[in-house]
Amino acid sequence: MMTPQTSLTPADTLDCSGLLCPLPVYKAALALGKLGTGDILKLVTTDPGALEDIPAMARQRGDTLLATEDDGATQTFYLAKGATS
Amino acid sequence: MTTAPTKPIQSLPTDRSLRRYDDIRDLLPGIHNPTPMVRINRVLPQATLDLYLKLEWMNPFGSIKDRAAAYLLAGLLERGELDGKEMVEASSGNTAIALAALATLNGIRLTVTIPDGVPEEKKVQLRMLGAEVWPTPDDLCPVDHPKDGAIALARSLAASHGGTRYVMPNQYENADNVRAHYETTGPEIWHQTDGKVHYFLAGFGTTGTLTGTGRYLKERDPDVKVIAVEPQRGHRLPGLKSFAEAKQPGILDWDVIDDVIRVDDEPAYAMTKRLYREEGLMVGPSTGAIVHAASTLGADHSGLAVGVSPDSGLKYTEFFSDYLGDEGSPQV
Repeated sequence: MMTPQTSLTPADTLDCSGLLCPLPVYKAALALGKLGTGDILKLVTTDPGALEDIPAMARQRGDTLLATEDDGATQTFYLAKGATS
Repeated sequence: MTTAPTKPIQSLPTDRSLRRYDDIRDLLPGIHNPTPMVRINRVLPQATLDLYLKLEWMNPFGSIKDRAAAYLLAGLLERGELDGKEMVEASSGNTAIALAALATLNGIRLTVTIPDGVPEEKKVQLRMLGAEVWPTPDDLCPVDHPKDGAIALARSLAASHGGTRYVMPNQYENADNVRAHYETTGPEIWHQTDGKVHYFLAGFGTTGTLTGTGRYLKERDPDVKVIAVEPQRGHRLPGLKSFAEAKQPGILDWDVIDDVIRVDDEPAYAMTKRLYREEGLMVGPSTGAIVHAASTLGADHSGLAVGVSPDSGLKYTEFFSDYLGDEGSPQV
């Protein structure tokens, strides 16, 4: 499990607590679409299915999953729009 | 200043013989108000097969889905499942359009998850009717639902927040979809053909039409053959589903299906064009697929066949434009 670095400063935060997959995937894709390349989205979910779906979405879209936190009840993802070099 | 003489308001009740109706919903189909059937006279190669198309685009909201939508909504209302909630439904457009029209007449909000590839015309119709439209990639949820992103998204909306905001009619699993066709489409066809129908053709989609109509017709005459039309993987025939890539709906009853004919896009679109030009039938591409399937039936098939024409071509101008290329434009 990666640990988010303190230097990760999200350009936007999306709280999808209470939403079941694939709703967080859908909303995250919309939110990322509004960001500039390289901008970071912090995504909070409470459906453990997101642990599979969000990385798959990032691969599919060509975005970069920088870090994931999972405390059992809440999952937090840091996604950068586009590929990082 | 003069005042115009006032006349008492005349109350004119619905009178089907005059085609006068109190409410648009009075035009919904049924045994006393069947959709028309028209014989195909020119595009079929078989001399022994008489094919009639049931023109479902003559329904008030433009497609065969008027039937299912009316039954789905009535079922939710009768069972008290709406109870102040909004509706959410996954649809390739036609069910959603009918549901949106009926919902707005009942003061109910509707959110539609719709596959990305559905023509813009349908999405705009939905927004005109006041629905919220969520275009959804088929592969939204590659882990669990490889080609059913819209269905998965509608389910997740209905289940999120403890299921307190939305109720999902779920045309793919709801027996009211089948009942709509068992109680309307089937009896209409039986009556309109004087019980002489031999073959019934419709496309795989939610399978409500095939299951409900097929079940009714087979109960009346076990010799009626029900033929399902299935597109290929990655097809561009909205409303139809290939079960090689999409999950089979729970309402599908294989016991009523006698045969499945698989159709490629190209012959389906070619037949759609022929229906426009040789029969004067302005139908959508799924009708072309169904008529093409009928055209492939062998010489051992004879008698009266009824095919469904689910909707008109007016919602597919974008697709038809792609198909036609520069055909019909000035050639300099």
